[in-house]
Amino acid sequence: MYLKRWLLIGCLAFGFVGYPGPVGSQTQDQCQTCHREVLEDVPSQKYVNDVHFQKGIACAGCHGGDPTQADMDAAMDPKKGYIGVPRGAQVVQVCNACHADASRMAQWASPIDTVQFQRFETSVHGKPDVATCVSCHGVHEIRSARDPQSPTYPTQEVLLCARCHADPAYMRKFNPALPTDQLEKYWTSRHGQRLRQGDVRVATCSDCHTAHTVYPPKDPRSSVYALNVPIMCARCHSDPEYMKPYGIPTHQYDLYASTVHGRALLEKHDTGAPACNDCHGNHGALPPGVQTLSHVCGLCHALNAEYFGRSPHAAPFAKKGLPQCEACHGNHEVLPTSLEMLRPEAPVFTCRKCHTMDDRGTQTARTMYETIQRLVTLEEEARRLLTAAERKGMDVTDVWFQLRDVHAAYLKARTVVHTSDPAEVQKVVEPAIQLARQAQAEGQRALAEFDFRRKGLAFATLWITLLAIALYLKIRQIESRSRTGEPKS
Amino acid sequence: MRGVTRRSFIDWLLGLGVVGWVSSVLYPIVQYIIPPRVPEARLSAVKVGKVDDFEPNSGRVVRFGHQPVLLIRTEFGDFKAFGATCTHLACIVQYRPDWKLIWCACHNGRFDLKGLNVAGPPPRPLEPFKVVVRGDDVFITRET
Amino acid sequence: MWRRIYEWLDERYQLQALVEFMSHKYVPMHRHAIWYYFGGVSLFLFLVQVTTGILLLMYYRVGEDASYESVRFIMSQVRFGWLIRSIHSWGANLMILAVFIHMFSVYFTRAYRKPRELTWVSGFLLLTLALFFGFTGYLLPWNQLAFFATRVGTEIVGSVPVIGRELVRILRGGEEVSGATLARFFGLHVALLPGIFTVLLTLHLLFIQRQGIAEPESWAGRPDSEKRRMPFFPNFLLRDLLLWLIVLNVLAFLAVFYPWELGPKADPFAPAPPGIKPEWYFLFMYQTLKVLPAKVFFLEGEFVGLLLFTLGGLLWMTVPFWEGRLGRYRNELAHLIGWIVLVYGVTMTLWGFRS
Repeated sequence: MYLKRWLLIGCLAFGFVGYPGPVGSQTQDQCQTCHREVLEDVPSQKYVNDVHFQKGIACAGCHGGDPTQADMDAAMDPKKGYIGVPRGAQVVQVCNACHADASRMAQWASPIDTVQFQRFETSVHGKPDVATCVSCHGVHEIRSARDPQSPTYPTQEVLLCARCHADPAYMRKFNPALPTDQLEKYWTSRHGQRLRQGDVRVATCSDCHTAHTVYPPKDPRSSVYALNVPIMCARCHSDPEYMKPYGIPTHQYDLYASTVHGRALLEKHDTGAPACNDCHGNHGALPPGVQTLSHVCGLCHALNAEYFGRSPHAAPFAKKGLPQCEACHGNHEVLPTSLEMLRPEAPVFTCRKCHTMDDRGTQTARTMYETIQRLVTLEEEARRLLTAAERKGMDVTDVWFQLRDVHAAYLKARTVVHTSDPAEVQKVVEPAIQLARQAQAEGQRALAEFDFRRKGLAFATLWITLLAIALYLKIRQIESRSRTGEPKS
Repeated sequence: MRGVTRRSFIDWLLGLGVVGWVSSVLYPIVQYIIPPRVPEARLSAVKVGKVDDFEPNSGRVVRFGHQPVLLIRTEFGDFKAFGATCTHLACIVQYRPDWKLIWCACHNGRFDLKGLNVAGPPPRPLEPFKVVVRGDDVFITRET
Repeated sequence: MWRRIYEWLDERYQLQALVEFMSHKYVPMHRHAIWYYFGGVSLFLFLVQVTTGILLLMYYRVGEDASYESVRFIMSQVRFGWLIRSIHSWGANLMILAVFIHMFSVYFTRAYRKPRELTWVSGFLLLTLALFFGFTGYLLPWNQLAFFATRVGTEIVGSVPVIGRELVRILRGGEEVSGATLARFFGLHVALLPGIFTVLLTLHLLFIQRQGIAEPESWAGRPDSEKRRMPFFPNFLLRDLLLWLIVLNVLAFLAVFYPWELGPKADPFAPAPPGIKPEWYFLFMYQTLKVLPAKVFFLEGEFVGLLLFTLGGLLWMTVPFWEGRLGRYRNELAHLIGWIVLVYGVTMTLWGFRS
C-alpha cells in the first residue's frame, strides 16, 4: 500500500518534471531559485506578479531549457530547448506557441481568442521591428487586461498606443504620412471625456481597431474598413442593455441600415457613402453640432448646402438653433426624397413642421412643386411617345440621349429648391422644358414616320393593285384574242 | 373619245401601272443609296468644331455617338477629353474653370485633368478619349 | 417605239430565231398546274434577296464591334434601310418556304423522272445551298439570338467522330463563335454561296428551257391537239409576273407591320437566352436530334442523327435513280414515301415550335 502511494507521487512528480512543456513546477524550478534568490535580478522579481506565473508557467515555458538542473550549463542547454532571450520575430513565435493554439489555451480554460494571434503577423504591427507582444504587454510582469495596473487596461491602453502613435518623430520612422493627433482628438470625443472620468465601458483604441489584427482602414480586412464601421459601432450603440447607463437611443444602426446611406454602403457596397465616422468623426467622435450640420452633409451634398446657406432659412435656423439638413431629411434615417415633400397636400409635406398651410412659405413650396411637376409631366409624356415609337419598330436611341439632359435638369431643379427661391427653380426648369418638348416632337416624328411607312405601303399597294389589274386585263385580252383567232400584236 | 379602243386603254393602264410601280420601287432604293446625315454606324471620330470655338480654361459636353464626352481646353490651350459619365452614380460631370478640375455636382466628386478620381465618392477614373487637332478642326476619337 | 428597238437588236443579234423558239414554249394546263408557279416564285424571291443583299452590302460592316451597330444604323438612320433589311429577312424565309413547296410539288407530280433527273438533283442542291444561305446570313447581325443559335448549330457538327472537333474549328474559324466566324460566314454568304448558287441555278433553268415543263403522266401518248396548254410567252409569264407582284406586296406589308427585330447585341459571356432554337427551316432536324437518345450503341446520338439526315438527303436527292426499282406499285410507294417525309418534317417542325 505504501509502495502504491509512493509510486503515485513519484509518477506525478515525474509527470510534472518530464512533461516537455511550459508547465514547470515552481517548487522545483531551479531557474527561479538561482535568478531570484541568488542573482536577485529584476525580471525574476517582477515575475511573481505575472499572470503566467500565477497560472503555473515557469521560466522554461518561454525560455526553454531544463528547470530541474541547478548547474547553469545544464539548465541553459540549447539541446534542452534553451533559446536565451527571444528577440524580434522569435518573441511572437514564443508567445504564439501557446496563445495561437486553441487546444493548448483550453487547458487553462482561457477565453482569449487564438485566431487573432495567428493573424498578428499579417497585421500592420506584425513586422518584428514595428512591434512584438512585449512592446505592449511588457514582459515578466504581464497582467490581465482586466487588471487596472495592466498597460492594456482601458484607461492605460490609450496612453500605451499613444506612446508611439502620438510621437511624430517616432512614427516618421515607420509611416511618415500617418497622422499623430489621434489621442488629442480622442480626448475631445464623448468616449475620451468619459474615459477621463473613469468609465472603462467606453470605446478605446482596441475596441475599434482590435488589439492584435490592426489593418490600414482601406484594407477590407480592417475592422475600421468603411463597410465594417457601422456594425462595429452598433456592437455597443445598438445594445440596449449595454447602453442603459447612458440614456441615449440605440436604434441608430437600424434606422441607418434601412435607409439611403446605409443601403448604399452596406447593400450596394458604395464606399463613397458615409459610415458613422464620416459624420461623427472617428477619434473625435461626437454628434456634429446642430449649427454646423450642413457643413458636414455639404461635404458630399455641396450644392444643397450652398443653396441652403443662401436661402431665407439659414438665418432663422441659426437663431433658433434648429438642426439644418436634419430638420427635413433626418440624420440616421435619411429617407429617399421625392417631389411630394414640397406638395402641401401630401402626407410627407416637410414644411408643415414649421409653416402653416396658408403662409408664404407654403405658397413658395407649392410654386416650386408646380414648376418642377410641369417638367416631370412633359418628360413622362416624351418617354411615353418614345416607348410607343419603339414598340412600333422605330429606332429612337438618339432621343433617349436627349432625355438624359432633361433628367439632369430635373435633378438640378430638385437641388435648387434648397434656395427656397421659385425664380431660381424656374431658371433651371425652363431650358429643360424646351428640351423635353423637343424630345416629344422627335417622338411624334418617329410615330409620324411609322404612319408615313404605312401610307407609303398603301400607296405602293395601290400602284401594285393597279398594275395587277392592268396585267390581269391584259392576260384576258391576249387569251380572248388567241381564242377568237385574231392575229397577235 | 374616238380612237381609244378597249385594247389601247388596257395598254395605257398597263403602262401607267408599270411606271407607277417602278417609281415606287426605285424611290426607296435611290433614297437608300444616298448616304444619311451621319454616314457611319460606329463612330471612331467626331468633329466637334474649330479650335477657336473653344475658349482656354473652358469645358463643354459634346455627343460622341450615344455617349456624352467632356471636352476641355486647358488654360495652356491644349485639349483633353473624357467620358462625361461620373463613375460613382452616372451623373454628368462638368469642368470647373475656377478650380481647374472636373467636378460632379451630385456628390461633390472631383477628377483631375488626367481623369483620375481625386476626391469624393467616385471609385474609378473617367474614361479617356483622344483629341486630334487637324489644321483648324478639332476631332475626338476613342483611346484605342 | 418598242418595235423599233426590237428591229434594231434583231438586225444585229438575230433575235427572231430566239423568239421563234420561245413562242413554242408551253405550259401544260391541268388540275395540278397551280404548283408550277412556285418555281418562278422561288426565282423571284432569290432575285429580291440578291437586290436587297447588294443594297445592304453598302452599309453593312463585318466585325464584332461593327456588325451589330451597322445593322442598327441601317434600321434607324439610312432612309428606307428598315424596308430593305426587313424585306431581306422576310424574303429569306419566304424563299425557303417557296423552295420547299416547289420541291414537294415536283416530287408528288413525279416530275423528277426521266429525262429530268439532273433537274431534280440540281434543284435539291439549290435547296441545300439556300439552307446554307439562311444559316450563314442569320449570324451576320451579330445579335444574341443569332450568336447562340449559331453556337448551338455549329456544335452539332462536333458530334462527328474523329474529325468532328476539327470540322467545328474550321466552320467557326476558331474554337468559339467569334469575329472570325462572322468573317467566314460573311465571305460564304456574299461570295462563295452566291457564285455556286448562280451556276447551279443557270443549269437548272437551262435544263428546264431545253426540256420544257413536265407534263402529267396521264398525258403520255396523247396527241398535242388533245393537250390543254398555255403559251409561256406571254400568257404564263404575265401570270407569273402578277403573282410576283403580289408576293412583293406581301413582303412590303410584312416589313411595315412585322418589322424584323434586332434585339440586344451578342454577348458571349451572357447565359444563353432560354428556349434558344434555330430558325424554323432547321427545326425538324433540331427536334429530331433532341429526341434521339444520347448514345446509340457506341455512337453519339447527335452523330447518328447527322448520319440519318445525310443518308436521307442522299436518298432523296437520288430518287430519280432508284425509284424505278420499286416495282409494280412504284407510283403508290413513291407517293407514300413523299407523304411520310412531308408529314415527318411538318410534325417535327411544329413540335420544335411548341417545345
